[in-house]
Amino acid sequence: MPYDTLIPLIAILPIAGFAFTALFGRRIQAQFGKLAASAVPIAMVALAWVAAMIVAYGAITGAAPFGEHGHGVTFWQWIPAGQFTVSTGFFVDALTACLLIVVTTIGLLVHIYSVGYMSHDGGYWRFFAYLNLFMFSMLLLVLADSFLVVFVAWELVGLSSYLLIGFWFPRRSAALASKKAFIVNRVGDVGFILGIMLIWTKLGTLNIQEVLAQIGKLDHTTISWIALLVLCGAVGKSAQFPLHVWLPDAMEGPTPVSALIHAATMVNAGVYLVARTSPIFAHTPEIMVVVAAIGTFTAILAASIAFTQTDIKRVLAYSTLSQLGYMFAALGVGAWTAAIFHLMAHGFFKGLLFLDSGSVIHAVHDEQDMRKMGGLSKKIPITYWTMLIGSIAISGIPPLAGFFSKDEILGEAFKNGFLWVWAIGFLVAGMTAFYMFRLIGLTFWGESRVDPAVEPEIHESGRWMTVPLLLLAIPTILVGLFLGLPFGASRLQGWLEPVFAPAVALGKPEQAFALFGIDGGLILASVAVASLGIALAWRLFGVSIGPIQAKSRPATVNAIANTNGATRFLYRASLNKWWFDDLNDLLFIQIGGRIAYGLWWFDRNIVDGAVNGTGRVISSAGGGLRRIQTGRVQNYALGIAVGLIVMAAAYLVIAGGK
Amino acid sequence: MSHSLDAYLILAGILFAIGTFGFLARRNAISMLMSIELMLNAVNLTIIAFGAFIASLKVQGSVIALIVLAVAAAEATVGLSIVIAIFRNKKTPLVDEYDTMRD
Repeated sequence: MPYDTLIPLIAILPIAGFAFTALFGRRIQAQFGKLAASAVPIAMVALAWVAAMIVAYGAITGAAPFGEHGHGVTFWQWIPAGQFTVSTGFFVDALTACLLIVVTTIGLLVHIYSVGYMSHDGGYWRFFAYLNLFMFSMLLLVLADSFLVVFVAWELVGLSSYLLIGFWFPRRSAALASKKAFIVNRVGDVGFILGIMLIWTKLGTLNIQEVLAQIGKLDHTTISWIALLVLCGAVGKSAQFPLHVWLPDAMEGPTPVSALIHAATMVNAGVYLVARTSPIFAHTPEIMVVVAAIGTFTAILAASIAFTQTDIKRVLAYSTLSQLGYMFAALGVGAWTAAIFHLMAHGFFKGLLFLDSGSVIHAVHDEQDMRKMGGLSKKIPITYWTMLIGSIAISGIPPLAGFFSKDEILGEAFKNGFLWVWAIGFLVAGMTAFYMFRLIGLTFWGESRVDPAVEPEIHESGRWMTVPLLLLAIPTILVGLFLGLPFGASRLQGWLEPVFAPAVALGKPEQAFALFGIDGGLILASVAVASLGIALAWRLFGVSIGPIQAKSRPATVNAIANTNGATRFLYRASLNKWWFDDLNDLLFIQIGGRIAYGLWWFDRNIVDGAVNGTGRVISSAGGGLRRIQTGRVQNYALGIAVGLIVMAAAYLVIAGGK
Repeated sequence: MSHSLDAYLILAGILFAIGTFGFLARRNAISMLMSIELMLNAVNLTIIAFGAFIASLKVQGSVIALIVLAVAAAEATVGLSIVIAIFRNKKTPLVDEYDTMRD
C-alpha cells in the first residue's frame, strides 16, 4: 500500500475501534463475553502497529516519498476563513517515526496486558474504548503537521487521560485525581494556545514545517516569547516543575493506564513538542537554559521524593518525573538526539516497570503499599526477573537501554559546557539506582510482610499479562545497544540528524559521544555512581542474612533519617513531597479560594444586585400601577372626565391668556 | 338674554354636567344609560343652537342633530342589551360589582 494511505490509517484505525467499542461494546460484552469486547480494539491497535512500523521503517530509511526531511499528507482545508486557513494533514519524518514506534508498540502490549489485568472489572469494554481513544489522540498528536491540530490532539490526550485516571470514578480519590490532572494540565495549555496565537499573528501560518522554516525572520524577543509559551504547554503535559503535582496522583488510574499514558507515551508529548520545535528553542539560548534548569530541578526533586514513598506506583511515578526531567535537561543543553533516545528507552523500560508493578499488585490482591510486600521474588518469578531487568535498565548499568541514553545526556551536557546539569544529572543517576533497588528490595527481597490471609494466594499473573512483560523486556535490553551503538555516530543519530540539523546549526555543535578519552571516564563514573546506589539499596533493603538484619532494617532506615536535624528534615521533606501539594493547597485552594469566594460575593451582590435591583424597581412600579386598572367602568369614566377637564383647563390657560 | 346663544349653551352645559355626574355617581346600570342619554341630548342641544343662531351652519346643524339622534337610539339599544346580558349573568344591576374588565 502506498504511504499516503498508510499514514492516515495509523490514526483512523484506533478511532474506528473507539467508535465501535463505544457503540456496541456493552452489548458485545453482555452477549459474547469480555474477550470478544476487547477483540476489535486490540485488532485495531495491532493493525495500526503494523501500519506504523511500515511507515516508520520507510521514514527512517528515507524511502521514496520521505527522503531526508520527511513527507507530509494534506487531507482538507479545516478552517478556510479569509487569511486564516488551517489545513489538516499529517507529517512523518524520522522523529515522528521514533514516536510512532514507542507509542504503537507499547500501546499494543498494554492493550494485550489489559485483557488480563482488567478481566475482573465490569467496565471492561469502557476501558478498551478509552484506551483506543487515547491511542488515536496520541497518534494524532505525533502525526499532526499543524500547531492547531497538535493542540486539538493535546487536549484529546488530556481528555483520555482524565477519563482513564478517573476510570474507577466511584472512588473519591480517583475522581479527585482525574480532576487534578485535568486542571493542572489546563494551566500549561493556556500558555501553549497563547504561543500558537503568537505564532499565527507573527508568521501567518500554523503549519509546523513552515513555521520552523520562517522562525528566523522574527526578532529575538518574539522568538523567546513563543518558545516560553510553547514550553508552558510542554511543562504541563510532561509534568515538569512546577506543574509536576498531577502525575503522582494520576496513579489512581488502572495500572495499564499508568504504564501507557503516564509513563511511556503521553507524558513524553512535552519532550516531543520541544524536540519538534527545536529550531525555535535553538534561536533563544536563554530559554534553553530555562528548559535545562526546569528539567534538572525536576529530576533531582522527584528522585529525592521517590526515596521515601511507600506506594509502589508512586515511586515509579516520581521516577518518571525524574526521567522526564533528564529529557528536558537534554533538550535544554541542545542534546536533541539524546533526549529522544532517552524518551524511547524510557518508554520501554518504564512501561515494563509499570506493567510489572501491576502484576505485583494483582499478585498481592490490590495492595500497593510496599511495606506490605516483600519476599515475592520466588512466588512471581517472571514479574521479578522482568522488573529486575527494568530496574537495571533505568539505573544505567550497561548494556541495557538506560545506560546508553542516560550517558549520552550526561556526556553531552558535560561537553556542551553545562557542568551543573552534568553534576546534578550524575547525582540523580545514583539516586535513581538507589530508589529503584529500594523498590525491588522492599517488594521482592527479604522476608514477606504480606497479609497472612493473602499470603497463600499469591500467584504469578496469567499469560495475557506475562507475555507482554517478556516482550517488553526484549527492547529494554536491546534498544540501547541497537540505537546507541556505535558510539560517536550512533544509529539513532543517523536517523534524526536531518530533523535536528537546523537546531544544531544554530546552537553548539552536537558532539558525538565516544567511548574513550574523556567520555570513557564519564561513563565509568556514572556506572560507578549507579552501582553505588544499587549497593546502598541492597545493603539497606536487600536480602537479609538471617532474621537479625530483617528486623533491624526499618530501624536502620530510621537511624539514618534521625542522624541529625538535617537528615531528619530531608527525610520529612521527601516523605511529604517537599510540601508542594500543601503549598498548592494553601496558595490556590485556601487563598485562591478565598479570593474567588470574595469575587463571587461581589458578583452576586454588587453586579447581580444592580441588575436585579433595576428589575425589581420596575416590576414593583408596574405592580403599583396595576392597581389603577380596577375593571370598574365608572373609574375609567372618571378618568376620562377628569382628563377632559384638565385638557380644557389647560387650553383655556394657554389660549385664553392671549 | 332670552334669545341669545349663550343661554342655550349654558343650559346644554348644565345638562351635560348633570349627565356626567349621573354617569359617574349612579350605581345602577340603567341609570347610567339614562345619564348617557342626557349627555347626548346636551350635545344635541348645542348643535341645534349653533345651527339656529349661525346662518352658515343652518343645514349642517340639523343634519348632525339627526345623525346624533339615530346613533343615540342605536347606542341605547346596544347598551341596554349589554346591560341585560350582564344582569342575567351577575344577577345585579349595580356596576360596581362588574369588575371582569380588570382581568
